[in-house]
Amino acid sequence: MRLILFLGALLGHIYCRETFVGDQVLEIIPRNEEQIKNLVELEAEEHLQLDFWKSPNNPGQPVHVRVPFVSLQAVKVFLESQGIAYSIMIEDVQVLLDKENEEMLFNRRRERNGNYNFGAYHSLEEISQEMDHLVAEYPALVSKVKIGYSFQNRPMNVLKFSTGGDKPAIWLDAGIHAREWVTQATALWTANKIASDYGNDPSVTSILDTMDIFLLPVTNPDGYVFSQTTNRMWRKTRSRVPGSYCVGVDPNRNWDADFGGPGASDNPCSDSYHGPSANSEAEVKSIVDFIKTHGNIKAFITLHSYSQLLMFPYGYTCSNSDDFDELNKVAQKAANSLTNLYGTNYKVGPICSVIYQASGGSIDWAYDYGIKYSFAFELRDTGRYGFLLPANQILPTAEETWCGLNTIMEHVRDSISTDTPGSKHH
Amino acid sequence: MQHRRQPPSASRPGGLHPAASLLALLLVLALPRATAAPAGHEDTGRLPDAGLPRGLLQHAARAALHFFNFRAGSPSALRVLAAVQEGRAWINQKKECQVDLAFTTESYNQEEGEERLGKCSARVLFRNQKPRPAVNVTCSRLIEKKQRQEEDYLLYKQMKQLKTPLDVISMPDSHGHIDPSLRPIWDLAFLGSSYVMWEKTTQFLQYYMMQLSRVKLWKTDDDEIDFDYTVLLHEFSTQEIIPCHIHLVWYPGKTLKVKHHCQELQTPEEASGAEEGSAAALTDLSRTSREKRSVYTES
Repeated sequence: MRLILFLGALLGHIYCRETFVGDQVLEIIPRNEEQIKNLVELEAEEHLQLDFWKSPNNPGQPVHVRVPFVSLQAVKVFLESQGIAYSIMIEDVQVLLDKENEEMLFNRRRERNGNYNFGAYHSLEEISQEMDHLVAEYPALVSKVKIGYSFQNRPMNVLKFSTGGDKPAIWLDAGIHAREWVTQATALWTANKIASDYGNDPSVTSILDTMDIFLLPVTNPDGYVFSQTTNRMWRKTRSRVPGSYCVGVDPNRNWDADFGGPGASDNPCSDSYHGPSANSEAEVKSIVDFIKTHGNIKAFITLHSYSQLLMFPYGYTCSNSDDFDELNKVAQKAANSLTNLYGTNYKVGPICSVIYQASGGSIDWAYDYGIKYSFAFELRDTGRYGFLLPANQILPTAEETWCGLNTIMEHVRDSISTDTPGSKHH
Repeated sequence: MQHRRQPPSASRPGGLHPAASLLALLLVLALPRATAAPAGHEDTGRLPDAGLPRGLLQHAARAALHFFNFRAGSPSALRVLAAVQEGRAWINQKKECQVDLAFTTESYNQEEGEERLGKCSARVLFRNQKPRPAVNVTCSRLIEKKQRQEEDYLLYKQMKQLKTPLDVISMPDSHGHIDPSLRPIWDLAFLGSSYVMWEKTTQFLQYYMMQLSRVKLWKTDDDEIDFDYTVLLHEFSTQEIIPCHIHLVWYPGKTLKVKHHCQELQTPEEASGAEEGSAAALTDLSRTSREKRSVYTES
């Protein structure tokens, strides 16, 4: 029974943390004040990274400590040299966690309510239905906001997560490029995560008590449907200009940020065609109008795949933005948190130096508009499967991405607490 | 979880508490060893590096690996980039971009679990926006030659057992799934595509293999695998999908023969007409002068 309590507490502590292979949990029973003193000194040694589950207090009272693998030998030698008795409670923490994790994953994957499997790719209809389902299940928190229509007149539906009032907000979008299917799938999982964690997880709760979240899971519905029915590799919108043979505009070259500049093509047949003019695409214009009308968006985050990158402005120029230092620090922290879950490595930096120079991108527009915390993720993988990421990687991708998103949201939340209330954009 | 109690102030005048000194000794032992060399930085040689593209080291490593995989000719022993260990890049007077680098590889064929890390060093010479970089690459041997030949032969037998002519559309499917019985096809296709990807690589253009559409498999009279397919390559900087028609002939241990023709990006004017391909040229690598300058070694 005690073990279950330990594990429960440990699990709560470890989500988004590193693995525990080879770590051991020791039970130590100090016999006198001197040994207590030794243990207290041991506790204070940061380099050993000891995790005391039960701290040293009085002689005769057991002390429980999780010792990372790399520190095991040093700690045991120390205890033995001081004549401090200890025994091994847990031989390998990771083995226990793996078993627990397996069960957790199994429970997560089981149908929660109805038949939506977050670990699979879904049609647009199924995604829309699940969005409606979330609204119905969490009516006090989640609502659906239609911000416009696509070229082929599909509604652009945003999920609004709000605890009420006129709060500053975070914008999160996925699937601006149709073929990047892991992003739409991640967005749905994230929506469910936010909704179910509110009131249960302190971080999500405090974030939503401070800010609203607007989440657009399918930014390019026409393209998504086309990639499902006709051409899996489709990237662009499905807009047609009369007289033009080739279809579609790259929606991430269509924003008003050095529109038409380097890294975008003026060939309508190209996959990076910027379009006839900035915001010519209905999908892009809908978002721009929404953001401007709302007037109090504090963060703009967009999901892409693949490459495993976390980036911030600029893409249209290779000069650093004014907020480079802060954005870089936040991005680094977010990437580390992401990596800690499953070991997935991410590179961090401004778009231009990390991926390529590209004008007309969404986060460049958002940043220049005044939204400081503008980030772009490129999710798994690094090219082995590319856009065709196997469905069994959806859940781990979504889970690790959440670690990164959560880190960014917490930073934004903390920055707002020091903001003057009611500050608006130009 | 962690309670932090303030350590009590030293009670003994002069001299360290014996446990403290022992602690200090243990700390030294417990300190993490120096980490492995960080990823290389992009240095410049004789000329300013204004033209060096992003992620050049990774790009050069992948180009070297495309070349290595093709020359090794072993569909059961394909390698992908794990991490760049170190590297340097110069632009020389001929405006060529030279990259020297060391990197680790992992097995392409294995899924999660078996981790076989290989090590390679390479010199890659990009010819001022012309494709077909000159590659000089050496990789550590991961498995014994005999075992590799056996695994190749096993793959060959698996392919022979497939019913022919085999007509497959879309591998992997839209959800990233490949039927395990068809996996040898993917591996062989990757081998052939490696040649094409190397062949098209420039210092600015890099390719990834995304999907097979239209697969046809025959057997020739002398039992070689005659394999005809269309592969969708993803070019990263332009984000274009390039369909390439590849025809290869393979037998374990024999040099791979590859013919290919890739569709180039259409302009709006061309798009209205049908894109007729020019006759595919048989590519016999031993004849190509560029190829002669490229070297592949497995040590």
